[in-house]
Amino acid sequence: MSEPTYPQIMTDLAAMLGNFNGREYGGQITPETMFSADLGMASIDAVVLGETIEIHYGRTLPFGEFLADLGRRGARDIAVGVLAEFIHKHLSLAPEG
Amino acid sequence: MPRIAVGDIQFYYQQKGEGPDVVLIHGITGNMAIWPLIDLIDNLADDFRVTYYDLRGHGYSDTPASGYTSAEMAADLRRLQQTLRLGPAYLVGHSFGAVVALHAAALYPDHVAGVVLSDAYFPALHELEADITHWDGWPGYKAQTERAGLEVSPDDWFDVGNLCRQAASLDSERLKMFIEEVGQPGLDRLVRLAGTTCGEDVKAVAGLTAERIVSVKHPVLALYGEHSPFLATCRYLQDNLPNCRVALVRGAKHLAHEESPQDFVALVQENLREMAGISGSWNHSQAEPVGGNS
Repeated sequence: MSEPTYPQIMTDLAAMLGNFNGREYGGQITPETMFSADLGMASIDAVVLGETIEIHYGRTLPFGEFLADLGRRGARDIAVGVLAEFIHKHLSLAPEG
Repeated sequence: MPRIAVGDIQFYYQQKGEGPDVVLIHGITGNMAIWPLIDLIDNLADDFRVTYYDLRGHGYSDTPASGYTSAEMAADLRRLQQTLRLGPAYLVGHSFGAVVALHAAALYPDHVAGVVLSDAYFPALHELEADITHWDGWPGYKAQTERAGLEVSPDDWFDVGNLCRQAASLDSERLKMFIEEVGQPGLDRLVRLAGTTCGEDVKAVAGLTAERIVSVKHPVLALYGEHSPFLATCRYLQDNLPNCRVALVRGAKHLAHEESPQDFVALVQENLREMAGISGSWNHSQAEPVGGNS
């Protein structure tokens, strides 16, 4: 099975984030949409979203590294597109399993 | 999403690694994301089975109306240990999470192997920290809370209940200030706790008296920020706990894990490995003299 493309991943993320743990977001989710400022998500939501993504793709992804990198950079917010790029990069690298 | 029923409460937790058990306990108004954000999980998971969870009223765990004293939260921790079938665990707690950790060591000594106290402040030792104006971080803290539309005085600056009540009743102008300075998630956390007894409960001694604190014989690392507001507490622990080592995180204040994450992670990892006999052996007398600003 071929790996999902970046646009496919964006579509998947938009579906997940449009109703994330009971919180609905009515706007369009684009690569520029910000997790905290636009979607109102907190750091703990990032941990839960990471699990949701791993279950969706059936792969373990290095979210620990991703979160730690955000922490090192002192990033208070990131764009959905940054996460989509991370997922795309690692799904391309990871063996199926 | 790994949630587990402990009594009537659902707790959200995660677990990674193999080896002796380590449990990480965040502070009041925080959540368990603080640990992966500083890469502590991956650094510990090579040597330990690391469990980290959201305290009641926090993150993705349930929010009961009451039950937020250190004794009650230590009981939550014990039941979580039982439910997950954890062995005697090394507990790493930050701020009130550290109070919960030491209370668990006092109440359930056979189920605790060692404790890392990150910038703990104990209600029973309140008098040690009575004059916060001596803290070199006080002017900056006061200015930040004022930018967030809150009012604090030297008497109530660490009163979580006061901060929650203020956050829950901000007028529109101050609400905007708060969100700009702290962010919406920070506001949500305080408003959520405002509907509980948490603010009052965390001020209660709840059985963790000074005598009970110093009765803990486990290896204890007192890990404080070099510029912590609670260095008098750190000195007290160093002088009175029978098996306590002190380490100071350079450049840090109360939030060493955020302010100096690499140093914080290295000190936690190194000391846990010594406590567990994985590298070297624990010798509490390798203590660092605590200077301080109070």
